[in-house]
Amino acid sequence: MTEQTTPWFGRILWEMIKAQPLRYGFALVLWTTIWTMPILVGLITARFFDLLTTGIESSQVISLVVAVGAYAAARSVVILIGMRNHGTMLFRAHALIRRNLLTRIYELPGAAGLDETPGEVVSRFRDDVEHIVEPFDFTADVVGATVSGIISFAIMWTIDPVITVVVSLPVLVVAVVANRTGGIVRRYRKDARDATEAITGFLGETFSATQSIKVAGAEAHMLHRFAALNDVRKTMMVRDRTLTSVLEATFRNTVNIGTGLILLLAAGRLGATGTAGISIGEFSLFVFLLTLVTEASYFSGRFVAQAKQATVSAQRLTDTLSGASWDRAYAREGLISVHGSPDEDLHLAEPDPFRSLQIRGLTYVYPGSTNGIRGVDIEIGPGEFIVVTGRIGSGKTTLLRTILGLLPATEGTIIWNDDTIDDPATFMVPPLVAYTPQVPKLFSMSLRNNLDLGIDLSDAELDESIHIATMNRDLGDMPDGLETMIGPRGVRLSGGQIQRSASARMFARDPQLLVLDDVSSALDVETEKVLWSRLFAARAGVATLVVSHRYAALARADRVIVMEDGHAVAVGTAEELDKTSAAFRSIWAGTPSSAGHHP
Amino acid sequence: MIPVRAYFKLFKAYLEPHRRQAVLLAAVLGSTIALQLLNPQFIRAFIDGATSGDDVSSLWPIAVAFMVVAIAHQLLMVWATYLAERIGWSATNQLRADLTDHVLHLDMSFHKSTSPGSLIERIDGDVTALSNFFSSMIIKVIGNGVLLIGIIVLLWAESWIVGITITAITVTTFLGLFRLHGVIVPWQKEIRATAAELYGFVGEQVDGTEDVEANGATGYMLSRFDDIQARWEPQVVRGWRGWSYMWIGSMMLYFGSLIVVFVLGSYLFGIGTLTLGTVYLVFQYVQMAHNPVEQIRQELIDLQKAGASIERVQSLFDTESALARNNSATLPGGPLGVEFDDVTFSYGDADDETVLETVSFSIAPGRVVGLLGRTGSGKTTVARLITRLHEPQTGSVKIGGMPTWDVEMADLRHKVAMVTQDVQLFRATVRENLTFFDDSTPDSELMAVIARLELEPWLESLPNGLDTMLEAGGGGLSAGQAQLLAFTRVFLRNPGVVVLDEASSRLDPATERLIERAVDHLLEDRTAILIAHRLATVARADDIVILDDGKVIEQGDRETLLSDPDSVLSGLIATGMEEVLA
Repeated sequence: MTEQTTPWFGRILWEMIKAQPLRYGFALVLWTTIWTMPILVGLITARFFDLLTTGIESSQVISLVVAVGAYAAARSVVILIGMRNHGTMLFRAHALIRRNLLTRIYELPGAAGLDETPGEVVSRFRDDVEHIVEPFDFTADVVGATVSGIISFAIMWTIDPVITVVVSLPVLVVAVVANRTGGIVRRYRKDARDATEAITGFLGETFSATQSIKVAGAEAHMLHRFAALNDVRKTMMVRDRTLTSVLEATFRNTVNIGTGLILLLAAGRLGATGTAGISIGEFSLFVFLLTLVTEASYFSGRFVAQAKQATVSAQRLTDTLSGASWDRAYAREGLISVHGSPDEDLHLAEPDPFRSLQIRGLTYVYPGSTNGIRGVDIEIGPGEFIVVTGRIGSGKTTLLRTILGLLPATEGTIIWNDDTIDDPATFMVPPLVAYTPQVPKLFSMSLRNNLDLGIDLSDAELDESIHIATMNRDLGDMPDGLETMIGPRGVRLSGGQIQRSASARMFARDPQLLVLDDVSSALDVETEKVLWSRLFAARAGVATLVVSHRYAALARADRVIVMEDGHAVAVGTAEELDKTSAAFRSIWAGTPSSAGHHP
Repeated sequence: MIPVRAYFKLFKAYLEPHRRQAVLLAAVLGSTIALQLLNPQFIRAFIDGATSGDDVSSLWPIAVAFMVVAIAHQLLMVWATYLAERIGWSATNQLRADLTDHVLHLDMSFHKSTSPGSLIERIDGDVTALSNFFSSMIIKVIGNGVLLIGIIVLLWAESWIVGITITAITVTTFLGLFRLHGVIVPWQKEIRATAAELYGFVGEQVDGTEDVEANGATGYMLSRFDDIQARWEPQVVRGWRGWSYMWIGSMMLYFGSLIVVFVLGSYLFGIGTLTLGTVYLVFQYVQMAHNPVEQIRQELIDLQKAGASIERVQSLFDTESALARNNSATLPGGPLGVEFDDVTFSYGDADDETVLETVSFSIAPGRVVGLLGRTGSGKTTVARLITRLHEPQTGSVKIGGMPTWDVEMADLRHKVAMVTQDVQLFRATVRENLTFFDDSTPDSELMAVIARLELEPWLESLPNGLDTMLEAGGGGLSAGQAQLLAFTRVFLRNPGVVVLDEASSRLDPATERLIERAVDHLLEDRTAILIAHRLATVARADDIVILDDGKVIEQGDRETLLSDPDSVLSGLIATGMEEVLA
């Protein structure tokens, strides 16, 4: 996984603004209005106190009340319109990033996966995206606050420049403090996020392994570890929140200190007449505007801190992008289809008939281990049934996955019909190639959708695939037939049912090459025999590559490839290998099949 | 409805240990409120003093006192936040632990139908919402609530007319906000539900990239993702609209009060009841009321979300295991007999098929039994019933002569071990995967078991031996290697009964032989039920039980059955056992 650096947050903000320029512009206008409107309240109130001092008449009171009423109405309208726009804008900012993340995840090799657990990835989709969009949310606020701050400052200056300058100093302090504490804020926030992620990751794994834990009676140990993780998170969270509170307190104190300074400096002149005097109205306006200015300053400070915190989340998202440039997450262009490769067209038009698949010197080694495959050669011709067999850890599944691009080959060539395939991940897919993994997964949707995956298949085509996959009885057991919802909110399927569904899914693709990893774990021998015979009856001309050590498969194989320690050590028919290959024999010695029935 | 009562019902037990801290918090909070109410009085004094021509030197101390009190107020607020957060997180951590404990002990039928993602949402998402609820509730709602009451009382002290009108406006606004809240609540629920759907989808997709990509279905899945997001958007926007209503509602309080200041203030000043400073005081208190109302308004939304969270957490606690937990009998050491007495069982799924029908067999202690049958004949279910992952609807499963439900669960799980083909691994070290995070197992014990299984070569192939970190979902190990790890896990204990359920189906015969050597050792002096497909394994069995379609079709001593040419067993061997029984 390459180290990608995230640029400074301003560039990320700019990307988000570029994605929704009109909405953003509108938001700026609205929030500026929302922030500056209160100045009017300050002015109205100032007028009241001045009138009060000199002697107020009821008609004047009425006009003040009307002013307040009109203001309230206008402000309500602005809020309603503004919030709607803002809500839409923020949602779309979130939605775009999430979408881009998912797209990127699909681009990565399907079996190489991410470093994080699914639980942690979900946490990034949810929390990190939120933290990145938060500053974007507040930029409109900051602009509004700044404009209102400037106007307030100007008004205060006209009342008394000296006091204005003096009380502005604490306001500046606010901004400086916000800036300086950014580093600690970021660190505390990151620690808290990491601690939370450790917890959700742990919970995710615990509940995926419940049966093992129960059977092992290990609940107490798991809970002990869980409690330890929770303690860590508590410390981090309390630290983070207390720091936030300290900063908030600092900011609020500036208003108070500022007000105190006004009191001190205005002491002799309050209520006095003449130009040096400060009327009560002016005093109230001063304090009112000071509050506004400090709010603005506080907001800006918070915003800066938020943006710094968001850089942590932005970096995590960039990491999840696994090698893609940071701006992939925010780009509108990410909305195109995943298969943007030139080979795309090949798959839409009627493909050329399959002539050959040649694998030369294919190599992939798992990071941080010696497991993998090295220099494997395979040839598959039209209609051929090829079986890969070998001991555990010999690389059979790895081989299949590397051929299909689900693992990124580090060396070797894949040649399909005389064309070298540079990107098997986008090429070796339906309608050319279809695959069933050793542990297939279905998704929380209807059985029909799990089988057709969005392709328009006729009932006849689906029925045929179900038949080949020996799924008929399973289908009969489904309460709503093909419309049955699968998954946590629907029906739980057994391992065998999942395997058969995945096989039906594969057959429904009607490919030129079928690839099946070991089905023996979920299907008994009898069922597997039926599967092969139906497959051959219905798909005789289709090239097939399987992993198996069952007699039914080995007997039919045109060629058997024996894997050992990541190398293909023997190739031939089962009969030949039984005579010539010690490796093959060592796998099969001691079974009744070899003793009584030669393959 | 603010679920205060429901909240405290749930939380009383968890807050109890922190009572002293809570009292301290209350005291600190009370002080902050007092200080905050005090400050406007200083300004009033200042204004009245200034306008009546007091000497400047008497005004300065007031200004200084103002600043000191303000600073003290803020410092106490920080302290209060710290206390509230600590209490909130400590209490909810305990809740989290109890909830997880409870969930882990729920039976397997619950777990099969509940995704890990939704459990994370509850145990972490919902409980964290409750933690925020606590700290927000205390400081922002109760604190601000008391502040508001203090303001109203002080206003009342200045002029009962002002007091009444302000009270009336405040109460009306609050009632209005509550009503509005009731309207908004279902909107929030819907937003959270769609969120759960979206993140559940993401979790599945991230886990299933192999299937999706190999099937060229990424475009399809992306369009499904887009559908969920498109459905979610109007819900979220509606939530924002609800929030605007709340904001406008609380604004009305402020402006209503301002009008009161203008009207009543001018009148009462005119007739000499209030000084100028007092009118300003009233104005200050009215302004001071705005922020608490804003904060309470903001918190009301979170409190509402908490209501949904409380419900979900409570319902999780209320979910009971189908298995009774409070039994205390223990099993003796050494090999134990296993007996199925007229057991009938079905999973209670949608298909409601009876998986086992009046199954009866008996295994003497220390005997090795080969359990044979096709996939779907009920062998796996027998294994699950022996380990009490489920209980039969009729009949009983007895270990050592005692029905499984009479035995204390922890003891049963200690004395009965099972190896399945579905190996569940963690993103942790190999050591932690073997011991399930039990720090007390010494490495020497682990190495002894690994040696007995002759798995040193496997361990040596790992870059850091026992310290090797396994990837998420146990990546980096092939299915067969994972199987060996699972085997090692089980062998770490000293069970009286071992069930090996289809443990060999993914291992090819050469490696299978490796394991069988070790199995030989461990079958000594234990009762074993072997569910396998190889003649070699069955050859080790003393007794045989054959299942077909949930019924026992044959059982007895292996050699006796073999010597009878008409037995089902003999028939199976004649036709090539593996072919039929694997």
